[in-house]
Amino acid sequence: MDFIALVLRLVLDTSASWVRMFIALGISVLISIVVGIYAAVSPKAEKIILPIVDILQTIPILAFFPFALFVFVVILPGYIGINAAVIFLIVTSMVWNIIFGVYESIKTIPREFLEVSDLYDFDRFERLKKIYIPAALPRIVEQSILSWSIGLFYLVTSEIFSVGASNEQVKYGIGVAFASLAYQGAGPYLTGIAVFVAFVIATRFLFFRPLEDYSTRHIRSQQKVQQGNAPRYERVLLGWVSRRISSAPMIIKSNRIVKGRKHISRVPVVEERRDLKMLGYAVVVLLIAGALYTFASNPVLLGYEAQVLPALAASFARVWLAFAIMLAVSVPLCVYLIFMSKRGREYMLLFQIVASIPATILLPAIAVTIKQGELVAMVVFILSGIWYLIFSIMASVKTMPQNVFEVRRIFGVKGKNAWKNIYLKAILPGLVTGALTGIAAEWNASIVAEYFTTSGVTGTTNVVSSVGVGLGKLLDLSLAPGGQGIGLMMVALLNLVVMILLVNTFVWKRLYNKVTKVYAG
Amino acid sequence: MRAEHMKMITLEKVSFLFKNSNLEIIDSISFQTNKGEFISVVGPSGCGKSTLLRIIAGLITPTSGRVLFGNKEITEPNRKIAFVFQDFALLPWLTNQDNVKIGLSRSEMSDEAKDKKASELLDRFGLSGFEEYYPNALSGGMKQRVGIARSIASDPQVLLMDEPFSSLDELTANSLRSDIIYMLENKNISVNAVIMVTHNVEEAVELSDKIVVLSDKPSRVKEIIKVNGTRPRDKRSKQFADYVDRIYSVLAQD
Repeated sequence: MDFIALVLRLVLDTSASWVRMFIALGISVLISIVVGIYAAVSPKAEKIILPIVDILQTIPILAFFPFALFVFVVILPGYIGINAAVIFLIVTSMVWNIIFGVYESIKTIPREFLEVSDLYDFDRFERLKKIYIPAALPRIVEQSILSWSIGLFYLVTSEIFSVGASNEQVKYGIGVAFASLAYQGAGPYLTGIAVFVAFVIATRFLFFRPLEDYSTRHIRSQQKVQQGNAPRYERVLLGWVSRRISSAPMIIKSNRIVKGRKHISRVPVVEERRDLKMLGYAVVVLLIAGALYTFASNPVLLGYEAQVLPALAASFARVWLAFAIMLAVSVPLCVYLIFMSKRGREYMLLFQIVASIPATILLPAIAVTIKQGELVAMVVFILSGIWYLIFSIMASVKTMPQNVFEVRRIFGVKGKNAWKNIYLKAILPGLVTGALTGIAAEWNASIVAEYFTTSGVTGTTNVVSSVGVGLGKLLDLSLAPGGQGIGLMMVALLNLVVMILLVNTFVWKRLYNKVTKVYAG
Repeated sequence: MRAEHMKMITLEKVSFLFKNSNLEIIDSISFQTNKGEFISVVGPSGCGKSTLLRIIAGLITPTSGRVLFGNKEITEPNRKIAFVFQDFALLPWLTNQDNVKIGLSRSEMSDEAKDKKASELLDRFGLSGFEEYYPNALSGGMKQRVGIARSIASDPQVLLMDEPFSSLDELTANSLRSDIIYMLENKNISVNAVIMVTHNVEEAVELSDKIVVLSDKPSRVKEIIKVNGTRPRDKRSKQFADYVDRIYSVLAQD
C-alpha cells in the first residue's frame, strides 16, 4: 500500500513538473518562431539578434535563478510567482537552440522557393504558413528534443533549489520530491528515478517521435538517399546522435552558411562580421571600465568584490578541474566508440537513457552518501557537464568526411599516427562545442552543487553539503534569510558573466574559428 | 602461358548480398587483370560497381567467391593496392602534404623521408607551393590530384579508382584523364594495373584496354570488350565511336 501511495505521489509530482515543461516548451517555440524568422529575413535584426543569442546560450543562466526567484516573487503573489520563475528559467534554457534552428532553416531555404512565393504573390501570412513554418518545422522538433533534456536539468535544479530557499517553495514537482526522498532510503529513491525515467522515455516515444515523423514526412525519402551513401556505422550513429545533441549548432551553422564560398589561401578565409566584433569588444571594454569605476568609488561594492573574487576563483578551479577529468574520460571513450567499437549503437542508447537523468536529481543521494562537500561538488559538476562533451563529440561524426573509415583501412593508418592525424583531429569540432556547453552546464549546476540544503519536516533548513568557498554557495547564501542580499548577488553575477565572456572570447571562440576555417568545406 | 605469368588481380565468382535485406548486389563476377592493363568496369548507376571495387580493395568481404592478387587471396587492404575515391576523401584537418603522407602510413621511412617524398609527389602533380594548404582551399581537380598523389605514394602495383573524375567538371576531368594516361605511359611508376569503375562510357573507351560491362541488379558480367589502339585516343575517330556504340548497345540489352 505504501508503495502504491509512493508511486502515485511520484506520478503526481512528475506530472506537475511536466506541465511546467510543456508550458515552457510552448513559450519557447513561439518565441523562437518569431525571433528566428525575424533574424533570418531582416539583415538588420540578424546583426543584433544573433550575437545576443550566441552570448545568452553560453551564460549559466541557472545562476540567475536566485535573482529571478527574487524578482518574480516580488512581482507576483507567492505560489504563482515561484512557478512563473521556474517556467521562466526553463524557457531560458530551452529557447536559444530552437531560435538557431529556426534561423538556420529559414536561411537555408532554397532561393527558388522564395522566388516561387514572389511569382505567386504570396502575402506575409501565406509565406509564413506555406514556406517558413514548414521549412523550419523539422529543426524545431529536432531542437525541441534537445531543449527538453536541457530543460529537465533546469527544472529539477530549480525545483530542488526552491526547496532550499525554504519560504519560497514549489509545492509539487519531481525535484521537490527528490529532495525529501534522499532521506527515505534507497528503495523510494530508486522508485523516484524509475518513475522519472519512465516519464522521459514515454515523452520521447509518445510525444516527440510522432512529431518527428510528422515534421519530416516530406524530407524522409530524400534523407534516406543521402544516408544510404554513408557507411553503415555512420548511419547508425547519425540516427542516434543527431536527435540528442545537435548542440553543435554553431558548427553546423557555419558549415552550411560558409559552404560554397571558396578562397585559395593558407586556410580558407571565412568572412567575419569584423565591425560587429569590434563593437562587441568596445561594449565589453566599456562595461568593464564602468564596473571598475563604480567599484573603485564605492566601498560597499568593493567589499562585495572582495568576497566574490576568491569565491569565483575557487569555483573556477573546481569547474576546470572537473572539466579536465571529463576530457580524460570522454575523449578515449568517444574515440573508442566512433573508431573501434562495433557496438557504438548499443552504447549510445544506454548513454541516452542515463543522460536523460539530470545530474541534479542524483544530487540528494550523492550529498547524503558522500557528505564531503568538495567531493560532492566535483561529482555533480562532472555528471552535469560530461554528457554535453560526449554527445557533442559523438556528433562530430556528422561533420566528418564519410570516407574517413575507409581511408584509415586502405592506407593502414594505425597507432600513434591514427591518434594524431585522424582520431583527435576528427573529434575536435565536437570537442570545442562540447566543452563550451559542458562548462556552461557545470556553472549552471554550481548553485546546487556547491551548497545543498533541504528543509526538514519542521521547516528548518538543513545544510546537507557545502564547499568552503564558491560562487554558487555565495549566490545561495546571499538570498538566504540573514544573507547580504541582492547587492552582493548582483556583483557576483556580474563577475561570473564577465569571466564567462572573457573565456568564451579568448579561448573558445578562437579555437572554434580556427577549427571551422579548416574543417568547413 | 604468358597471361598466367603476368596476372595481377583475379576475381573468381565473386558474389555479394546485403546481410540485412538479403538483397543480391553482385552475382558471380569473374575477370582477370594482367600486368600493364587498364580495366574499366561500366554499368548502370547503383548496380554495385563501387561495392565490387571495395571487395577488390579488401574493404568488404565477398559473400562468396574470392579475389586474388597474384596467387594470394585478398582479405585485407594492403600497400600494393591503392584506392582513389570518387569524392577524394582527403582529411580536411590535414594539410595537403600531411594528406599525402597518410598514403605512407605503412612505410618504415623516417618522417623526413616521408616529407620529402610527399613534396616530390605534390610537385609532380603540379601542386608545389600548396603543401601547407588545407584541402578545402583547393579546387576539385586539385583535390583529386592530391588524392592520386596519396594513393601512389606507397608505390602500389595496382590502382583502384572509384569514379575518379565524376565529381569534376568536364574540362577538369579531361585534363586529369590526360595526366593519368601520361603517368601510366611514363615508365617510372610502380603501378602496372588499373581497375576503374565508371558510368561514363566515353571515359572508359578513352582509357581502357578492357571494358567489363555489368548488368543492373544483381550485377553480372554481360560482356568483356577489348579495346585496341594506343593512348591517347582520338575521340572523334570512327573506331572510337564504334566502341562507344557497341558498349551502349550491350548495356541496353536485357
